[in-house]
Amino acid sequence: MTQNEWLAIAPVLIVAGLALLVIVVDLVWPRRPAIVTGAAVVGIIAAMVVTVAAGPIAGLSGQLPLEGQTVFNGTYIQDQLSVYLDLLFMAIALLTILFAPDYLEPRGLPMAEFTATLLFAITGAMLLAGAQDLLLLFIGLELLVLPGYMLAGFAKRDGLSTEGAIKYFLLGSFSSAILLFGLAFVFGFTGTTNIHGIADQLRSFTDSGNLPVGLAMGLALLVTAAAFKIAAVPFHYWTPDAYQGSPTPVTGYLSVGPKVAAFALLLRLFVEALGPIRADWGLVIGILAAVTMTVGNLAAIGQDNIKRMLGYSSIAHTGYIMVGLAVFAAAPDPATQAAGIQGVLFYALAYTVMNLGAFACVSALQRRPGVTSQISSFAGLGRRAPLLGVAMTLFLLSLVGIPPTAGFFGKAVIILSAVQGGGWLTVLAVILMLNAALAAFYYLRVVVTMYMREPAENARPVTIGTPTRVGLLLAAVATLAIGLLPALTGSMLDWTLSAARSLLLGA
Amino acid sequence: MISLSGIPVLSLIIFTPLVGALILAFVPGANVRAVKAIALGTGLVAFAFSIVAVLGFHIGDPGFQYQETVSWIPFFGIQYHVGMDGISLALVVLTTLLSWISILASFGPIKTRTKEYMISFLALEVGMLGVFLALDLFLFYIFWEIVLVPMYLIIGIWGGANRIYATIKFVLYTLVGSLLMLVAILATAFAYQSATGSWNGAFDLLTLKGFGFDTTFQLFSFLAFFLAFAIKVPMWPFHTWLPDAHVEAPTAGSVILAGVLLKLGGYGFLRFALPLYPQAAHDLAGIIIVLSLIAIIYGAIVSIVQPDLKKLIAYSSVSHMGFVTLGIFVFTQQGMQGAILQMVNHGIITGALFLCVGILYERTHDRRIANMGGLAGRMPVWAVLFGFFIFASVGLPGLAGFVGEFLVFVGTFAVSPVAAAVAVFVMIFGAVYLLWMFQRVAFVEPSEFLRKLGHHLTDIDRVEVLTLAPLFVLTIVLGVYPALVLDFIQQPVTQILHDLGAPLTGALL
Repeated sequence: MTQNEWLAIAPVLIVAGLALLVIVVDLVWPRRPAIVTGAAVVGIIAAMVVTVAAGPIAGLSGQLPLEGQTVFNGTYIQDQLSVYLDLLFMAIALLTILFAPDYLEPRGLPMAEFTATLLFAITGAMLLAGAQDLLLLFIGLELLVLPGYMLAGFAKRDGLSTEGAIKYFLLGSFSSAILLFGLAFVFGFTGTTNIHGIADQLRSFTDSGNLPVGLAMGLALLVTAAAFKIAAVPFHYWTPDAYQGSPTPVTGYLSVGPKVAAFALLLRLFVEALGPIRADWGLVIGILAAVTMTVGNLAAIGQDNIKRMLGYSSIAHTGYIMVGLAVFAAAPDPATQAAGIQGVLFYALAYTVMNLGAFACVSALQRRPGVTSQISSFAGLGRRAPLLGVAMTLFLLSLVGIPPTAGFFGKAVIILSAVQGGGWLTVLAVILMLNAALAAFYYLRVVVTMYMREPAENARPVTIGTPTRVGLLLAAVATLAIGLLPALTGSMLDWTLSAARSLLLGA
Repeated sequence: MISLSGIPVLSLIIFTPLVGALILAFVPGANVRAVKAIALGTGLVAFAFSIVAVLGFHIGDPGFQYQETVSWIPFFGIQYHVGMDGISLALVVLTTLLSWISILASFGPIKTRTKEYMISFLALEVGMLGVFLALDLFLFYIFWEIVLVPMYLIIGIWGGANRIYATIKFVLYTLVGSLLMLVAILATAFAYQSATGSWNGAFDLLTLKGFGFDTTFQLFSFLAFFLAFAIKVPMWPFHTWLPDAHVEAPTAGSVILAGVLLKLGGYGFLRFALPLYPQAAHDLAGIIIVLSLIAIIYGAIVSIVQPDLKKLIAYSSVSHMGFVTLGIFVFTQQGMQGAILQMVNHGIITGALFLCVGILYERTHDRRIANMGGLAGRMPVWAVLFGFFIFASVGLPGLAGFVGEFLVFVGTFAVSPVAAAVAVFVMIFGAVYLLWMFQRVAFVEPSEFLRKLGHHLTDIDRVEVLTLAPLFVLTIVLGVYPALVLDFIQQPVTQILHDLGAPLTGALL
């Protein structure tokens, strides 16, 4: 391997090494969670620095190079897209690790296992994001989801946690099998597992005008499996149970990590490999998007448990992000197609900070064991813990899409790409916006509970640990700064567009 | 006239309340006196800045004055672009005036979480001022939405018994409209970008107006804007959130709601919907005129039977705001100037009426008309002021309410005598429900309820006089000398009508 190849794979290696290091640290200094957390945080920050310094994005200024650096005989690539997603995954890991101690330690759950498992999952997500080969894509995916099942059942003495984990595991492996079956069809008809090879082969099919029926079968299986992974309706039933049962910091992670990674899978598989036959899957994605956001929001309205509510709301957000994919599939010109992908990437970032932030507030509130996930637990929080209340309000407003928060800009970028696409995409944009109004109802209900209801008689003051404080501050600043700081908004838009273009380079 | 070149006077106006809110955030909430002083001081400073802007304003100069342009998100050509013409000026002064009055009027009634209340109030002021001054569609939208959150909190935290229902209804109604408007704003910017190949100026009102979007596009975009503004005004049948919000809001919330928030809708039509989509505005004007007439009649009739003072005034707002949309959509100089004057007058008079009801509520903790009576004897000064503003609201010549409505009639008559006749006829209803209400509150035998209250029923105090006095003076001044506002808005209205192109034909109705 050349030096450039080593540099390109360095971020993945560092995170995988970090996972092992955490285990070693725990062996040397057993039951010292502070050391584990500190090592993990420092390690992730180091990995992020390396990614930025060695990656093709130095300074984020001027024209970013779109060509990537391939590794392992062209099965892995470090390009703008994978760098963007890698940093996003590492940020997710960082925030999750910061939020975890407040919840895990009072319940006697081991921090080191949690951290190591999480880092393995992130390694999988990073492999997935740069995969250029179906095999690596699948390996990355499995490395991502298997630790996820473990995390979901992390509180092993808790019945709900085990139940959620089993549901998540069964449906997750089921959908992995479906995915594998679909991949087999694609391999069978194109004769290659290389993503660009598949795209070239498909182009020759579409040029000649006859798409083999078997390939259409494979496509149907792939859409189904992908819908499972991103939790799109009607393949979403595992989400609320898995989210409700998991320890709250895990729920936060599950709502962003695997979700963004599944979208990375969609980008690599559907956009890069199956892009040439996008006319065949675009409309399906569009319809799924509309149904997903509507069902997610309607179901969220009736929830009294905040974790279930945020679970359903995350389904709705899946629908919003899928609009960006639909734009790619249905838009006539390359510029709009790139804008659609840009929407996916930008929204993924906004969604990550605000949703993770909201879950962090829930888990901070549950630092004292016994605090339920009922929305009523938030009663009077605005007075009991003013700063936590303000942070939660900020995240919820961002989830609604009220300017000038990140959530608003995310929606704006997606809507803008949809109206650029025109036609039924505009209708999709309108459906998205009506959904956003619908969603306001249940998000604001939490704000109502925090500020307009009296706390319960036995409510005790809320205390928050330092790591959670730092994490909440980071998430809150990001939620505001992505929208408010012109320079940051501009460079995020430039960067996401470059990432989208680098993905579409071969198209 | 003073020279203000080089001073970012509009940013000073918009962001003074924000600075005040930030300072308040660091003041301990227990120190209620300091909180109140800072809030009131901020309100007065913002008012002072708006008066400075009036003094430096060049009446009759075409276009926008004090413009400031700072690139914000160059990727999409989004700018921080603010500017002021006569219409914005009138509404900005109305906003800054009513804001400090409302803050002062909150001193007594707001007894819990004063600091949070004042921060919300100042944030609300930032949003309202921003809407009236933004010239970039994106910036406008952001301010438009910022208004929502503090109002939601003000009604939801400091409101009446049924406040949570009212505040959620308020937010949902407003959001449905405004989110579709966002789609239209983005579609408009993109239509410009695809036609010119550049995002530069794609969100800038001054670049976009008169761009000539195609007819179908105009129709859909106009409808999206229309929905947002019609809900805010509120036009019939989008008005049902208003009575609930008014009844549950604290007094100052009602004052701002009626005084300024409803004007955001009327202003939106004038500033954005008409100049951007003139063709669609022409096509739909007939329907909107009919809706306005329905609002005028419906609001008046429903007001007659209201048992609650606040609800009565809320429905009367629906009726009065019907004159505003009527005046705007007849597309005549008099009609449109009348509509703007009516917005200002309605803000002053209805704001004052809500203050009066709030003063009464402070003493009786009741708003039911049936529980009042004989207040002219018990609270003579209050009764005189209340009666004064009621007569102004009825449209007594010589007081502010009259001139705006009169101009709307004149402007409407030129286009559709039938519509004008209907609107004039409804004024009688206005006299009926307002005067009958006043009679039941002030003159008839005191109710059992009031007698029980006994000596608790004190007359209006000094602070309360202070809140009503400026509105009292303005009601007389604008009634006698409406040119004070009309001079400022004449040129902008001419400009809007010019942008709209051909006048409406008399064939309507």
